[in-house]
Amino acid sequence: MGATASQLPKDLLSEYQELTFLTKQEILLAHKRFTELVTREGRTSAVTRVPMEKILTLPELKSNPFRKRICHVFSTSELKDGSLTFEDFLDLLSAFSDSATLEIKSHYAFRIFDFDDDGTLDQGDLEKLVNCLTGDTEDTRLTTEEMRQLISNILEESDIDKDGTVNLSEFQHVISRSPDFVSSFKIVL
Amino acid sequence: MTAYYHTEIYQHLPSSQSHRRQLRPQDGETSDDSPLMVRDWNPSLPLSALPICMQMKRLTNDLRQQQRHNLGNWKSWSQIQYIKLKRSRDQFYKVASSLFQWRHTLIKIEGRFGMGVKAYFVFLKYLLGLNLILSIIIIGAVLIPTLVYKGNVECLKGICIREKFSVLDIVLGSGVLQNTPLFYGYYECESGEKCMNNSLLFLLGMTCIFVLSLVMVIRRTVIGYKHTWITGSHNNVSISHKIFSGWDFCIQDDSAAMLKHNLIRNELKMDLEDHVFHRRVSQRTLRQWISLYVLRILLNVLVLALLGGSFYMIFVATRYSKEKKKSNVALSQDSWIINLIVGYLPAITITTANYLLPRAFRKISVFEDYSLTVQLNLTLIRSTFLKLASLGIYILFLYKWRKSDNQNGEISFRCECQTPPNSTFPSNNTTEGVQFVMCWENDFGKQMYQLSVFDLLASFINIFFISFPTKWIRERYPLSVLARRLNQQFEITLHVLDLVYSQTVTWMGVFYCPLLTCIATVKLTAVFYMKKFFVLRCCAPAQKMFRTHSSLVLFHFTLLLGLLIAAIHLSVSLGDDVTGIRPSPCGPFSSITVSEVLSKSVGILPDFVQSALRTMNSKAVGLPLIMVEIVILTCFASRGQANNKTIERLKGMLVMCNSDKRFLLKQHSSGM
Repeated sequence: MGATASQLPKDLLSEYQELTFLTKQEILLAHKRFTELVTREGRTSAVTRVPMEKILTLPELKSNPFRKRICHVFSTSELKDGSLTFEDFLDLLSAFSDSATLEIKSHYAFRIFDFDDDGTLDQGDLEKLVNCLTGDTEDTRLTTEEMRQLISNILEESDIDKDGTVNLSEFQHVISRSPDFVSSFKIVL
Repeated sequence: MTAYYHTEIYQHLPSSQSHRRQLRPQDGETSDDSPLMVRDWNPSLPLSALPICMQMKRLTNDLRQQQRHNLGNWKSWSQIQYIKLKRSRDQFYKVASSLFQWRHTLIKIEGRFGMGVKAYFVFLKYLLGLNLILSIIIIGAVLIPTLVYKGNVECLKGICIREKFSVLDIVLGSGVLQNTPLFYGYYECESGEKCMNNSLLFLLGMTCIFVLSLVMVIRRTVIGYKHTWITGSHNNVSISHKIFSGWDFCIQDDSAAMLKHNLIRNELKMDLEDHVFHRRVSQRTLRQWISLYVLRILLNVLVLALLGGSFYMIFVATRYSKEKKKSNVALSQDSWIINLIVGYLPAITITTANYLLPRAFRKISVFEDYSLTVQLNLTLIRSTFLKLASLGIYILFLYKWRKSDNQNGEISFRCECQTPPNSTFPSNNTTEGVQFVMCWENDFGKQMYQLSVFDLLASFINIFFISFPTKWIRERYPLSVLARRLNQQFEITLHVLDLVYSQTVTWMGVFYCPLLTCIATVKLTAVFYMKKFFVLRCCAPAQKMFRTHSSLVLFHFTLLLGLLIAAIHLSVSLGDDVTGIRPSPCGPFSSITVSEVLSKSVGILPDFVQSALRTMNSKAVGLPLIMVEIVILTCFASRGQANNKTIERLKGMLVMCNSDKRFLLKQHSSGM
C-alpha cells in the first residue's frame, strides 16, 4: 500500500477525507483498487475515466442487480455512459459507506431506483425495481397480476399525496422509517 | 395517470426545479443560476453529507469560505470550532469502535448470510461489551478491596481447608473453587470499620452493575421501540420497505445474490398470499371457525402440557440432585462421572428442555392456521416464556428446599472436603471430620455457575458433535435422504434466546458469584468464535427472511425481562423477612446486614445531608412527587395524541394540495 499511498498527494488525501465519509485507510484502499482497474499506461488522475464495464467487474458490484444504475447515478460523464473518475468512485463509496447519513443514502437510493431519471418513481420505475429485486428472467419474474397487485399496494402505502407516483420526499419519508435500510444500503471495499 | 407530468408547465414548478438542480448539478453549473444552486445547502451540514458530486462539493466549499469571510469574526470562529469539535468526536467514536475488532468477520458474515445473522453477532458483541464493563466494576469495587483487606490470610475462621485441585471442580464449581473469590463466601470479613467498608463496596458494586445494565438495556430497547412505534400498525408501510430497502447491497457473492432474489420473491409472494389469506379468513364459515378454535385450544393445551411437563422434570431433577447431595455417604461411593451427572442434573434438564421445546413449538404453531408473522411471534413468546420461567421455577424450588431446611431447624454442618485421591479417579469424595458452615449463598452461586458453564458446554457439544458431523454427512453423501432432511439453518431467534438466557443467568448469579461476569465475558468470546465457525462452516443461508428490527426490539425486551427477574430475585432474597430464609453466616453480610450497612453509611454523612435524605424519604415529599409524575405522563400522552392528529391532518392537506395542483394544471392545459 506504501507505493500507492505516495501516488495520492497528502493535501488531496486530506481534502477527500473532508469531502467524503471515508477514512484515510478507506480512501487509500479505494485508490489502490481504482488504479488496478485503470489500464497500465494510463496514470490515475482526477480526470481519468474508467468505463462502466470495468467498474462492474469489481466483486463488490458484480452481483448487484442495480450495478448499472449505480454507475449511471454516480457518473459525471457528459456522455452518460456510466464511466467513473476516481472522484466519482469516492463519491460512490462515500454514499455507501458505514458512516453516511440516512439523508444521503436515501437520496442516492431514490436516484438509483429512478430508472428513467424523471425525478419520480412511477409505475414503470417500480416495475423495473421489483424485477431487479426478484431477478429479471422469464421464470423468476412475478406474473402480471401479481405485479399489478404489488404496485398498487406500494402506492397505497407510500404515495401520500395520491398522485400515482412516489416522489423524493415521500420516498425519504418511507425510507426514514425503515430501520434496516441504513445497514443494508452499504458497499464496503 | 402520469400524463400530466408531460405537461410543460410542470417542469417550471418550483418544487420540480429544485429537484432538478439536485439531480443534474453539472448542467446547472453552466447555466446562470449556479450560485443559487450551490447556496441551497444548509451551512451547518458537513460537506461530506451533501448529495452532490465531488466537484460541486469543492465549489460549495469555496462559497462557504467566502461566506465565512463575510460573517463576523466571532461567528466564523464559532462555526469552525463547531466543525472541529464534531470531527474530533467522530474520530473518537471511530477509534472506540475499532477497539473491538471482528469488524471484518462481521462484514464477511453479513456478505454471506445477510443482515439478520449479522444482527445476532452484533447483539453478541453488545452483550460481550456489557459484561466486560460489569467485570471491570466487579474487579475494581469488589475483588480488589477484599484482596487488599484479606491479605494473605488463607484460613477462614480457623478452618483450613486443604483440598486437591481437580478438573471436575472447575466444571462443577465445587471443591477447591468453593473458597476462591469466585463465590460469595470468600468476601467474608469480621466485624469492624474496615469490614463495613468492604460490605458497603460490595453492595455499591452490585447496585452499580444492576443500574448500569438497566440503563444500557433500556436505552437499546427504547431506540428500537421508537422505530417500531413509528412504523407501527397505524401507518403500515411494510411492503414499501420490502421493495425500497429490500436489496442488501453488502452481498458480494453470486450465489448469495441468487438466494436473495429468491428470498425477496418468496417473501413478496408470501405477502400476496397473506392478502389472499386475509380474504379467506373473512370468508370462513361458522363451522370452520368452531373447528379451528377447537384445534387451537387443543394445541394450546398441548403447549401448556409440554411446559408443565418440563417444569415437572426440572422439579424432579432438582429434588433428586438435592437428595443425592444430602446423603453424603451415597455420594462418596459413586464414581466421579455419576457425581458429575447428579450435580448437573438440573442444568442438563433445563438445557434439554430449552433445546427441544422451542423446536416443538415451531412445529405446533404451523397447525394453528395463523398468518406467518403471528406464527413466528407466537413461537418466540412461548420459547421466551419457557426459558425465563424454567429458570425462575428452578430458583423457586431451590428456595423452597432451603426454606424447609431452615424450618426443620437443621443447621447444615457438612463437609465438602476431600482427601487426596487414593484411586485412579481424579476426584474421589470421602468424608472427613472437618466441619464448616454451609453457606447457602455459596450454593446458589454454584448452581448459577453450573448453569452458565453447562450452557457453554451444551453449545460446544451442539456445534462440534451434532452440527459439524451433520454437515460432514451432507457433504459426503449429498444425495442421500438423510442429507436432504438435515439441512441446517441459522435460526436467529433461537440463538438470540440462548444469549438472553445466559445473560439472565449471569445477572441472577452475580451477587452470589461475583466473578460470573468475568466468566460470562470469556464465555461470550468463546461463543463468538464457535458461532462464527458454525455459521460459516455448517450453515446454509436461511430460507426465511428475517426482519431485523422488529424482532430485535423483542430480544432487547426479553433481555430487560431477564434483568427484571434477576433484580426482583435479588431484592426478595436480600429482604429475608419475605422468604423466611435466614442469611447464612458467611459472606460480606455475615456480621452486618444489608440494612445496617446502609444506615451506618448514612450515619457517616454530614448532618444536613442526613436530614435532606430523611425529608426525601418522608410522605410529604413522596406524594407530591407521584402527583407530579402523573401530571407529566398525562402531558406526554396527550401530546402524543395531538401529534398523531396533526399527522393525519397534514396528510389530508397534502392530498388536497396535490389534487388542487392537478385541477389547475388541467384548467391551464385546456385553456391553452
